[in-house]
Amino acid sequence: MSTSSSSSSSSSSSTTTGSLSRRRSTPVDSGLGWLDDRLGVAKGGRIFMDKIFPDHWSFLLGEIALYSFVVLLATGVFLTLYFVPSAAQTVYHGVYKPLDGVKMSEAYASSVNISFAVRSGLVIRQMHHWAADVFIGSIAVHMCRIFFTGAFRKPRELNWIVGVSLLFLAIVNGFLGYSLPDDLISGTGIRIAYSILLSIPLVGSYLATLVFGGVFPGDGSIIPRFFILHVLILPAIIAGLIGAHLFMLVRQKHTQFPGHGRTEDNVVGSPMFPTFMAKTTGFLFMVTGVLWALGGLAQINPIWQFGPYVPYKISYAVQPDWYMGWLDGAMRIMPSWEFAGFGHTIPFMVFLPGVLFPGLTSILFIFWPFIEQKLTGDRAEHHLLDRPRDRPRRTAVGAAFLAFYFMLFCASSTDVLANFFQVSLNVVLWTFRFVVFIVPIIVGLFTYRICLDMTGVSHVGKRKRAVLIVRSATGEYTTVDTEARPGDGHHELEPMLVPGFIEGLDGDGAEGGEPGVRRVVRRP
Amino acid sequence: MATVRRTMHVRYLLPAAVVAAVGLGGLLTSLSAGASTRSRAPSGTHAIAAPTPPIRYVGNFTPAQVHEGQVLFEANCSSCHGTQAEGSAVAPDLQGLGPATVDFWVSTGRMPLADASVQATRKPARFDNQQATAIAAYVASLAPTAQGFPSGIPYVDTQAGSLSMGNRLFVLNCAACHTITGAGDALAEGAYAPSLHVATSTQVAEAVRTGPGNMPVFGPGTLSNAQVADIVAYVTGPIQHPNDRGGIGLGGIGPVAEGFVALLIGVGGIMLIAFWLGERA
Amino acid sequence: MSDVTTDEPGGLAEGHAPKEPLPLASFDDPHLQPLAKQPARAEGVVGILLLLGLLGFAAYGAVYWVGGQPQVEGISLGVGLFCFGFGLSAWGKYLLPQGPFMEKRHKLASSDDERAAMAAAIVERGGMMVKRRSFLGGILGIGGAVMGVVLAFPLLRSLGPVPAKTFDVTNWHKGSRLVDNLGRPVHVADLEVGGSLTVFPEGYTSEEAMAVDQTILIRVAGPDVDVVTEPSRATWGPDGYLAFSKVCTHAGCPVGLFQHQTLQLLCPCHQSLFNVGQGRPATNVFGPAPRPLPQLPLYVDESGFLRSQAGYDQPIGPGFWERTTT
Repeated sequence: MSTSSSSSSSSSSSTTTGSLSRRRSTPVDSGLGWLDDRLGVAKGGRIFMDKIFPDHWSFLLGEIALYSFVVLLATGVFLTLYFVPSAAQTVYHGVYKPLDGVKMSEAYASSVNISFAVRSGLVIRQMHHWAADVFIGSIAVHMCRIFFTGAFRKPRELNWIVGVSLLFLAIVNGFLGYSLPDDLISGTGIRIAYSILLSIPLVGSYLATLVFGGVFPGDGSIIPRFFILHVLILPAIIAGLIGAHLFMLVRQKHTQFPGHGRTEDNVVGSPMFPTFMAKTTGFLFMVTGVLWALGGLAQINPIWQFGPYVPYKISYAVQPDWYMGWLDGAMRIMPSWEFAGFGHTIPFMVFLPGVLFPGLTSILFIFWPFIEQKLTGDRAEHHLLDRPRDRPRRTAVGAAFLAFYFMLFCASSTDVLANFFQVSLNVVLWTFRFVVFIVPIIVGLFTYRICLDMTGVSHVGKRKRAVLIVRSATGEYTTVDTEARPGDGHHELEPMLVPGFIEGLDGDGAEGGEPGVRRVVRRP
Repeated sequence: MATVRRTMHVRYLLPAAVVAAVGLGGLLTSLSAGASTRSRAPSGTHAIAAPTPPIRYVGNFTPAQVHEGQVLFEANCSSCHGTQAEGSAVAPDLQGLGPATVDFWVSTGRMPLADASVQATRKPARFDNQQATAIAAYVASLAPTAQGFPSGIPYVDTQAGSLSMGNRLFVLNCAACHTITGAGDALAEGAYAPSLHVATSTQVAEAVRTGPGNMPVFGPGTLSNAQVADIVAYVTGPIQHPNDRGGIGLGGIGPVAEGFVALLIGVGGIMLIAFWLGERA
Repeated sequence: MSDVTTDEPGGLAEGHAPKEPLPLASFDDPHLQPLAKQPARAEGVVGILLLLGLLGFAAYGAVYWVGGQPQVEGISLGVGLFCFGFGLSAWGKYLLPQGPFMEKRHKLASSDDERAAMAAAIVERGGMMVKRRSFLGGILGIGGAVMGVVLAFPLLRSLGPVPAKTFDVTNWHKGSRLVDNLGRPVHVADLEVGGSLTVFPEGYTSEEAMAVDQTILIRVAGPDVDVVTEPSRATWGPDGYLAFSKVCTHAGCPVGLFQHQTLQLLCPCHQSLFNVGQGRPATNVFGPAPRPLPQLPLYVDESGFLRSQAGYDQPIGPGFWERTTT
């Protein structure tokens, strides 16, 4: 505690006297000193600025998700200013003439108004939708990276669980948001969700009527309820879990791929400030830019073309958003099994794909780190990542699972596929009932085989470097690696600790030089 | 119709190009033009009550038309349907089906058909409108039109139709098969509901009234002439020329196409950026 | 150095004097050189990108100002944000110290002593609290449990009614006249053979009622033909008319798709297929639907309007636990 009472710079003066004595006091020093006297932020703050983030591109996948979430929050706040979460009926007399005089819910009318009457409203509405699709997509890709590189192993099991929870919460919240405009397509989705709730044995009918405020479509409370879940409760939980996710990441430090100078005991990469900060902030802008451009250029969910939801109306080719596709696909290819007896009915054809299957999926995902520990007996801490090819069995299982969910996803568009390829719908459905199981097995076996083959080859996956054949004086031939490529050169350097002080930046350092002139010296 | 689509694209592509190339000054001028087109777009779709009937059924054909039809029929249709359109083992009896039925099948190119075992597909029509009408006239002349089929070829006053009424009727009666955007989709056992994007107003009305193939028949007891006109106005209006205010329409097949864009362009594109930004080793 | 980059976030480790000096680096250190081969050129590119970003922002502002247009808005701000971010990222990637830098990892686990002390704090200090106070502990526990239960009342029970008999009941009764969605009664001459219509019992126009009552009326034969879907339903299909619940027995979507040549009803959501017609009581022949659609018995009244002989003989729609078998 004694150091914090003195100024921040003097606390470490005993150890870095040389550079400190030359250091001129700047306005930052005095401002920071004021704050540090009161909160003691200098040391922790600097340690945070020195924090190392490994630079591998695949470590940015989670950031796509994070920044999509930022976009979702920002655009979502905008939308709440204009969206009316009410099932109360109104008659539309707005800009879009084909719906003039049509009776609809306030929710639908306000969504159409956002699309036509609010300036930039349509772009932001579409951006919100694209961001949701990209959010969940990037979570999935990020999760694949974690899985295939074994980043979920000890000590990161808890963070894996948080991440899986985020995936499922994001899917649920995506579905809720998709349902809010109360258009014909989303209303049909709500109808199916109601039937899924209803299918749960014992409590289904209670759950369904409680959630909907009565037998479908209920007393009109489903829209406001979905709304508050969508804009407050789930985002708060998601934001909290993202906070926990990042806290654990900082606390445990990032994993890294094995490589020059990288060990289990260090983290090699760029410091938080300024390198990582500049890159990642730029990345935030780029993600936002892509989403904004999608929002303005690619039409998504043109609800005005659908009309309001009416329980006895229906459109063909109704699919949920892509992240629900695996569930819809499972619903479609499920055989028509229903148990009826003893005065009760269990609609397995809905309960299995709609409740049990996602339930088991989430349990399997959550417990995967422990399942793998059990199977491999590996309970050691790991900070260096696996190359997927070095773990053929895990990689094969993962690829098979991906194939399984991808086939289910494709099965959710049986009608579109049948129409596009002009095949009978029945043939397509039966095909999917088989390929959903066959394709993953084939994919898994192939992956396993490929991994085994790759482990036999050295240097596979590394950047190629030319090899010089040198003839010695005695006539002996040897091979020598050439110089690294210029861009790769810095991988060859030994990693150094982030310097506390840089001499020579001001030009009055030990080496002298022109004051205020930045000198860039090329490496020899 | 093509020009309408074209101007829609030009409306946003032109200013977009200006943004990229010229910059701010040019942008402002092009935009004021763009803005005025936009404000004009929704008007003109308003329904105005017309004194003329919403649909005229034209069933009085001249002997010349009947004769022309007979020549065409005997040359192109009689090998399957028989010279008196009485039908055969491979083709149905056409007597009594009325001119609208015949006109629909011929004018949409579904007839003549090479292979009777599959659902007839819309293809470039072999006969022009006048010839199709003539064939219809000939077949209609062979037998009185049976009850339930329109006695003439319907000509729809689409200006009289109400778009909002058409929207409601379309969603209730048509969208279950043809989809909400009119893109069409596969039905059971190899049948399919065709896309509505190229149908003419007369063909839509004919299909509604005669129920070609697996399509249900919507007679006057189910839909009045005014209601059919509403549906036709909606199909030839917002369905065939959707207000794709949000940008590229992605084929109107909904979340399937949207998912691919989100994953390939959204996630995939941003991953490419990440691939550039990060390191590869 | 190891103590400097301690794991403690937020400066909790203050007070520990660093054992090693903060590392010092010369500006000429290769680690501090930019990655760019030609930094001046990279600087130019970054400058152009940031400038493009600025232009994009301004363009969006201008678009908005003159009235807005979604595609131009998307292009201008999208390109602006992208270029701005691209420039900033390129700055970070090419013009800032290339590294590589590192920090050390530290054991996450505390020392055995610290663990034992924490465990002891819970067990022993906590034990002191309840020792010889088990009565209080009991009340606390029971009180907490009861609180949890009663708090669930408003959180759950207030949400809606309990289902009661509502799942089994539609508004179709003996003699209900069939009307279309606009309330127009259906006359026996209204539908052509091969026609279909969505009908409701007369007098029930609320959305809630229509959601449950929706029935698809189809005509598969001409006048004077009684369509018998199964022997026990000999009189249910007068004059070629058949009526089935429009709520799919799978997941409740409206089965709105009638193929009149193949005499099939298809559910647009999950493609369940039902055969209808003579001897075909909406049998589920394909897809996930587990049961036929319930059939509504019809008759033609003396004025020629269609009416229902009775309500549905079974609960309509998807299955649920309390549904009794028929």
